[in-house]
Amino acid sequence: MPPRIHNQRVTNSLLPYLSSTSSTTASSPSISRLPSTSTASNGNSRTFSTTPAPQSRKWRTDMFQWLAKEGSELKSHVPGRTNYLTRLKERRLRGEEGANSKAALTHPFPLNPYFSAENILSEELRNEIHARVTGKNKKSVRAVSVELGVDMRRVAAVVRLVELEKRMKSQNKQLALPYARAVHEMVPTTPLYKDPEMQRKWAHESINDLPVHKLTNAQIFHPIPESRHFTRADAGRVFSAAPAQDHATAAAIAADPTAAVDRATQQPGRIERVGKGDFETQVLQPAEARIPHPHLVALERHRLAHPGEPRETNKYYNTRLQEQERLEGEQRAQAAAREEQNTNKVAPAASRFEFRFRDVEFSEQTVGHDGRGSRAPGRRYGVPSEDRKKGQVKIPTRVEV
Amino acid sequence: MRNRATTTLTNPKIRQSWSKYNLFNLTRMRTPQTSFRTHFQQKFKAKSIARAYHGEQVRESQWQRMFSSRIRSVIPMDPYNLAKDDGAGAAAGRGSGLGHQLDRTALSIQQAKQYIPFSQMTFAPLERRLDVAVFRALFASSTRQARQFVIHGAVTVNGQKMRYPGYLLNPGDLFQVDPERVMFATGAPKNRSERREGRALRKKKSEGEEATEAEAQAEEKDTAAAEESKEPAEEEAKDQPKEDPRKVLKGLMAQAKNIMSTSQDVLPAKRKQELRGFQRAVRRVLSRSGSSTVLTDNLESQFAELTQLLKAKRAEKKKDDRRGGNDRKDARSPKSEASDAQKQPDAPQAAAADKAQPGEALTEAFRQAAENPEQEPDTSELTDEEFDVLKRAMVQMRDNPIDHSKPYGTPWQPREFMSAFAFVPRYLEVNHSICAAVYLRHPVARPGASEVPSPFGEVVGTGAFAWYLRRR
Repeated sequence: MPPRIHNQRVTNSLLPYLSSTSSTTASSPSISRLPSTSTASNGNSRTFSTTPAPQSRKWRTDMFQWLAKEGSELKSHVPGRTNYLTRLKERRLRGEEGANSKAALTHPFPLNPYFSAENILSEELRNEIHARVTGKNKKSVRAVSVELGVDMRRVAAVVRLVELEKRMKSQNKQLALPYARAVHEMVPTTPLYKDPEMQRKWAHESINDLPVHKLTNAQIFHPIPESRHFTRADAGRVFSAAPAQDHATAAAIAADPTAAVDRATQQPGRIERVGKGDFETQVLQPAEARIPHPHLVALERHRLAHPGEPRETNKYYNTRLQEQERLEGEQRAQAAAREEQNTNKVAPAASRFEFRFRDVEFSEQTVGHDGRGSRAPGRRYGVPSEDRKKGQVKIPTRVEV
Repeated sequence: MRNRATTTLTNPKIRQSWSKYNLFNLTRMRTPQTSFRTHFQQKFKAKSIARAYHGEQVRESQWQRMFSSRIRSVIPMDPYNLAKDDGAGAAAGRGSGLGHQLDRTALSIQQAKQYIPFSQMTFAPLERRLDVAVFRALFASSTRQARQFVIHGAVTVNGQKMRYPGYLLNPGDLFQVDPERVMFATGAPKNRSERREGRALRKKKSEGEEATEAEAQAEEKDTAAAEESKEPAEEEAKDQPKEDPRKVLKGLMAQAKNIMSTSQDVLPAKRKQELRGFQRAVRRVLSRSGSSTVLTDNLESQFAELTQLLKAKRAEKKKDDRRGGNDRKDARSPKSEASDAQKQPDAPQAAAADKAQPGEALTEAFRQAAENPEQEPDTSELTDEEFDVLKRAMVQMRDNPIDHSKPYGTPWQPREFMSAFAFVPRYLEVNHSICAAVYLRHPVARPGASEVPSPFGEVVGTGAFAWYLRRR
């Protein structure tokens, strides 16, 4: 009977972050022992046989050999650094220099250079975001997003998640702390810098992403006279097949471009519409009105117009931001008030429930040509339910909070 | 549904899985050959390779209905550029701009940077599925496992249980997986002795259920044990109100080091005993403080209390050094502070493991302090490393305990080869400590990058896109 080899676990200590460091030192001898013996025993058992080993067994042998030698590096993680397959490949091709290249550290898949593992928020940055949005001197999501270089949707999500975490902690629910620690060691993270300038320089992500609009996919040949000043706004009108603006409007917009953008962003309902019936759409707005932070463009315009007056610019920016927040707050309040006004609430004395009735406008737009539009009230009235029929998909499409 | 997601070695297919077989298949994968192949063959090959990875659990007809030729993309905008010009320059002249002419190589470099990998986005609609999102958030070790979690009711969406793996997440949806399942999915499995311990535990439990009397006895025992652990502490506190803090600290340190250094091959029962001993010691020390809240309070205050009671002090010199080092790190690199902080324990771990110099120095200091206690009241200084060891042992005790009733190996460690697959795509915001994530938006392509995690290159992506485009 061959000597039994005690299967030593690679990672030995209790803490994940301690274990990982020790494992890298301890792993290589203990791992390399195991598979080599298994392959040796395979070889011994078949020395007398003339039958070639099946392909599957060959691959299996190869795999365990690879796992024991090259692959052993991927077995456990190295805190603070990614540990991807690309690293092995780059090292094979270009040596140590390649192993520390950016591609080796960010591409999890060697064959796909277009997908890279991007940073996640570090614990401190996450808490900082939550503190700034909900803390003592509350800041708007928009302001925090610009300060810390994090997308607005992500800021909102972080606040939700941290709130949930706090609630779970207060309820004494079990958290997956060692797991979270291990993941934060494996994946690159964006730290919280003390210097706000650094935070903006090494921003977590680009916050001014312009979504490519469907209308701009078309390639349009649109001849214009060389003398014409053809701007982004004009190009948007061409893409949405709107007639060109008259000279007076164009001149007014050119004189004060910030005001035009403000009109589009603050009152999106008033944007000019073109087309008829189902094809009616808003005129495509220029990029500065469609990015998430149009006020940054206004800031840069002010800076360009008033060079050497950083204090003035800062003041302008702050007042503008506050004004925008005030407007947004007002709009939200108005919408809530309108909603309140339109609903008729009835709470019977003996009932646990409150019934809310809302008037419905009965027109072809709201309920469809047969009065049974998918969003119409009484959609199913007099129609047999089909949910037991074949092919009916009953997976919910949304979950209301 | 039968699981066809096999990771065979003879007919290798890449799957959404962290298995080592899959990893080996990934190393072997080459871009499929296109020479001497018809266009149809190229497309078919590309599609079949890609579909084995993307939504292998989704029926082909189902996927064909989901496929959309419209691909979402974004262009990052610079507000300075937008403010500087209104875009008229691009249309000036004969319609292609009057600006400086680039030479051919510069132009090609610029174009390569601007290149948006649309064809890598073919399978973007599948990333909306709940099971795929759970896998992408690193909550499961494969999409099949994620699917099982969903079906078994371990996943909630916006706080409601969602049992459909095919639920398509909407932007803003928050999904959460039971942390226990996540720890099981991502943790290293139990080894032999741990399994045996688990069996013994279960046996004990079932026996207890059979005989209620025995259970009552066990309870009595347990309570007695609990009381014991409290009583001696109280008694000691009464009997010896003035215990030498240095001695206690020394004992604690020894125990902490023992805990930190013992490897997995030490019998679990022994480790458990050690841990319990340490726990008891800490409790005993803390009980002297008289405030019962400390025991239940958070770790930081507990630790502060402990060090205060023991009159332990950090060596100031070292502290300064360390602060300087931290500052340097902050200034230098965009690396995470957390990881930096966690890198530091390399040294203490090594020290604890082989009982190198710092440990000896500590014992020496202790001996000196014990011999003439009146001379210097504050000699029980600890080096940073020793402080770390002590603190970590306490963190360990709280966060990552040994518990054989768990279905994974305890203390929890990441499973093997997890790091080779560990990445979180940008369209998710994940909080790993509560195992919850928010689906922020649909995945998009941007210049030079695609957000759909795919192990395949352009040849496969383009071929697959063309294949599904054919049926539109």
